[in-house]
Parts: sequence; C-alpha cells; structure tokens
Amino acid sequence: MTCIEVRKIDTNEWEIPQTGDMRVPARFFATDEMAAELIEEAGTPNVWSSLVQLRNVASMPGICGAAVALPDIHPGYGFPIGGVAAFDIREGVVVVGGVGFDINCGVRLMVTPLCRKDVAGRADLADKLYRRIPAGLGSKGRLRLGIEEIDRLLRDGAGFAVERGFGTESDLEFTETHGRLPGADPEAVSLRAKQRQFQQVGTLGAGNHYVELQVVDRVDDVEAARTYGIEKDQIVVSIHTGSRALGHQIGQDALREMEEAAEKFGLPIPERELACAPIQSEEGRRYLSAIACGANCAFANRQVIGHLVREALGEHYGIRSSEIRTVYDIGHNFARIESHRIDGNEPTAVLVHRKGSTRAFGEHAPDAPRAYQSVGHPTFVGGTMGTASYVMRATEKGVRRTFASGIHGAGRRLSRKKAAKRFWGEKTREELDGLGILVRGHSMRGLAEEAPLAYKDVDDVVSTATDAGISRSVARLRPLVVIKG
Amino acid sequence: MEEAFSEAARGMFALMVELSSVTRKTSIDVICCASSTESLLVDWLAELIAQKDLHHCVFVSFKVQIGFDAGQWRLRGRCEGDIIDPERHRLGTEVKGISVAGLRVGEEDGRWVAECIVDV
Repeated sequence: MTCIEVRKIDTNEWEIPQTGDMRVPARFFATDEMAAELIEEAGTPNVWSSLVQLRNVASMPGICGAAVALPDIHPGYGFPIGGVAAFDIREGVVVVGGVGFDINCGVRLMVTPLCRKDVAGRADLADKLYRRIPAGLGSKGRLRLGIEEIDRLLRDGAGFAVERGFGTESDLEFTETHGRLPGADPEAVSLRAKQRQFQQVGTLGAGNHYVELQVVDRVDDVEAARTYGIEKDQIVVSIHTGSRALGHQIGQDALREMEEAAEKFGLPIPERELACAPIQSEEGRRYLSAIACGANCAFANRQVIGHLVREALGEHYGIRSSEIRTVYDIGHNFARIESHRIDGNEPTAVLVHRKGSTRAFGEHAPDAPRAYQSVGHPTFVGGTMGTASYVMRATEKGVRRTFASGIHGAGRRLSRKKAAKRFWGEKTREELDGLGILVRGHSMRGLAEEAPLAYKDVDDVVSTATDAGISRSVARLRPLVVIKG
Repeated sequence: MEEAFSEAARGMFALMVELSSVTRKTSIDVICCASSTESLLVDWLAELIAQKDLHHCVFVSFKVQIGFDAGQWRLRGRCEGDIIDPERHRLGTEVKGISVAGLRVGEEDGRWVAECIVDV
C-alpha cells in the first residue's frame, strides 16, 4: 500500500511535496472529492494510481518546476493521462510514456453554416458520413501512398494533403504549427512504420476516436466565441484521431530503443514504462525527430478527414467547402521544445511532454493564428457520446501553473473491460438515439466500451479547471451525430 | 510457455475480432528474438499487430516454437487467419501497441503465464 502526502495549496490545486526520490514537487488539479478518490486509489493495492505515476514522473532526470496533472487525470503507462512534465534540454530526458502510442492524437474543430434543425434526426446524413469516413479495424483511406510519398507526408504534414486536393491553405493557418512540426526526418522512422501507413492516411481508427456533428449548446465567453466564429445553435464538426499505424509503430519502436538507452546511460527510472533517453543523445534526438514525423502524419490525417466531411456535407446540403471553416486543429500527445519560466526565472528552453493534454498558450502567443491573438488559440475538451464537449482557452494563471497546458477529455472512470461487461453496444446506441443522438459505429463492442457512463463527468472536469482559474470555457457543444470506428 | 504465447496472441486478437467469425484461409510465419522472455512476448505481439496492417489480416490460430540460443530467446510462429472483411467478421476495437506495463512471463503452480497490457 502506498501512502502519498498531499496538501491543498489553492482552489482545486494540490501538491505532493518533494520528498524521497522526487526531484521536484508534483502538482495536480482536482476538487476535494476528486482528490479524495485519487488518494484512495493511491492507497489501494494492485490498482494503478495516477498520483503514484505523477510522483514517479517527478523523480525523472532533468525534470523542471513540477510534474503537473490536469483535472482529467487518470492512470496511463507510467505517465498519467492528463500529465505534463518539462525537462531541461541539456540535462533532461525524453520519455516514451509521456508521448504514448498515438502521437499527436488530437482534435480538429470546423464550423458550418448549418444549424440544429438542419441536422437533428437526420439518419440519412449519419449514414452518409458513416459510409464516407473510413473507420474501424482494417479500414483503408482514399490516399494510397508509396515510400517516397510517405516520406514527403512525414516532412510536410497537413500541407501534403492540401497539395493533393484535400482542403486549402486556410486550413493550415488554423492548425497548430501550420500542420507541420519542423525537425521531422523520415530517416528516423522505420520502414515498418511507413509500410503500415501506406493505406491508412485519412482513416479514423477505432476506440475513442470519432467524428461528431455537434450543436453549440451554450456560449460562455462571448468575445472569444465571436473571434473563433462560433455562435449558439450553430452546427460544428469535431474530428478526433491521431497518427494511426505509423504513430503506433514509432511508439513501439521507441519503447524498445528507449529501454536500451536508459540502460546504456544508466538512467534511474522508477518504472519500466518510463523508458527514456537523454535529450542530448543520438537516441533522444532520433526519437524527437520521429515524434515530429508522427505528428505530421496525424495533421495530414485530420486534414484528409476534414475534407471528406466537407464533401459529405456539401453533397447533402449543397454548401460550398469554403463555408465549412477550420476553427483550429490541436494535438494532445506530444513532446516539444518550448520556452517557459521555471520558478519565476527567465524563460528557458525545456522539452514539454503532454500526455492527454494540449498546449494552451494565452493571448498574444506567437504561434497562435493572427486572427486569434487577442484571445489566444482555442483548446478542445472531448466529451462522451452522450454528454458534451467544450471549447476552452488559456488563462494567464494556466500558462504559469501548468506549462501552458489544457485538459483534453473527460478521463475514463471504468476500464474498457468493465465497460464492455456493463454496457451493450446496441443498447447504448438505442439509448443515445432516444436522446436525439444518432450513433453509427463499426463495432458494437467498441460502442459499449465508449458508453458515456464509462467516463467521468466532463462538466465536472471543466468546472474544476475553470474554478482553479487555469482555463476558461468558451462554449459547450452537444453531439447530434456520432461516427465511431 | 509456447502455449501461453499462443493464447496471448489469441487473446489480443479476440479484442479485435470475434474469433469464431474468422476462417483460416491464409497463413504467415513470424520470427522474433529477444534477450528475455518478457521482451519476447512484447516483440511477438507487436509483430502480430504490424503484420495485421501489412497483410490486412486478423489471425486466430497460432503454432509457436520457442528456444534459447546464444543468449537470445527465439520464437518462430505460424499464424493462420483471414483478410479483414467487415461483412463477414464481427470486428472489435483496434490494438495500437503493446505496453510493458504489467509484463509477466513465468511458471506458476505448474502453469505458464504470459501477461501484458495492450493499448487500444
């Protein structure tokens, strides 16, 4: 049984003081009730504990400031989901668990000229999207690529897809880093990873990935919503997917390589899943380059799927592609070099890992689209099929206390196994249908695992962050049509 | 141990497809080696995930041979299955990768255990 000392330091903000092997304190955001559950989890034998994982991250070589976890915290592979950790680029490490298998899994949000009455109850539209978007195990994308084309995609990201006629340059302006991370060398990615991706560009995947038509149910921040082009009762599109088989293979290859590197460099790692290499090592540099490649693959993937959605809606309603505009596209599994103030000192370059967490830079951040400079770029919190998603934006306190990070989802409450035992896919679909939410999925078991009650309450997760002052709600979105793999 | 590895593979594919809905029309051979039996398990399952995408197949039957030679555990597996067809196969979720969390290979009470957590 593990006992973790925890103390409350601010509204919904807690600290695990630096003790023992920890090199920095750990900090997490939770209500009193959530914190009590997390502490109980830490003290329960044979149960993965988010707080124990967070404490372990705080003991990694070169970590700066604090190991941080946001309100959607739940256990990951050594590194908690909802976790953020920054490492000194000279002395620190790059950690596989801090990125995961689905590099740059993320969300693209698009606005449309449609409103609720245009979409509600439209089973024919749901069926069209279900047929149009390749999803589920074994699905193949419209783009079939060879080795040279894959290499170009890994370098150019979403721009590769635009060149091929999937979307426009304006999509890139409203994609994180213009849909392309620099430093992506295809030589850092195995042939196996590329081969696996030949037919998967523009596929949704399965599990918790989705395409949703959502209605803007509520606007909380009028100025930001207006800046983003979001208004009440408007229909928006959310696309949640990542780097597919290429990203998965990069993660798998890295797991072995980082284990070997950790042993080679004598790095003390508290758990095998925190395999890592010094940032300033050949292994570390290669993995970072591979991450950039995986990220670019995910940007291209969402770019293609966005175009498929435009095609389907254009056919159905006769609207032009230009009327379906990308609000923003942002990832939530990344490790990137950024500049941050550590403990109030001058800004310094650090490698920030975000596992199940997005960047959330505030107003006037250099990376944000020019049109969003006055409010900062949006971030997205994916909810469940039956509840809601949110558009959020950063606050100054959030930038300061979380290495400019934002929550990305509700966080699982039940494991997939427990969810599959408790819920039936067909029944889940019928219940959602009764709520006016049309669900189309390629796997009944998948629907059961994604049942709304398998997740924490997204409203609670969001309010925990806003009450802590680290994030601001812009709008709440409710699903009307859900396409799953 | 060989049977445990075979059943681990079946268990993993059982997440992806209802095994009884898949006939054995195609087969591939897989070879891998590792310095420990735990790493061998990870490599074996990871190789199957990759082969699933490369051949667009799911596999449901496995004949596994494992030996130890020159400091390395070596596995040879014959895997039988079919090309993925949503019309014929009852599909589940997709396994993204094989983690090293909860990794365990060993003999307990006269039985072999091969255990790991897969990412979906």
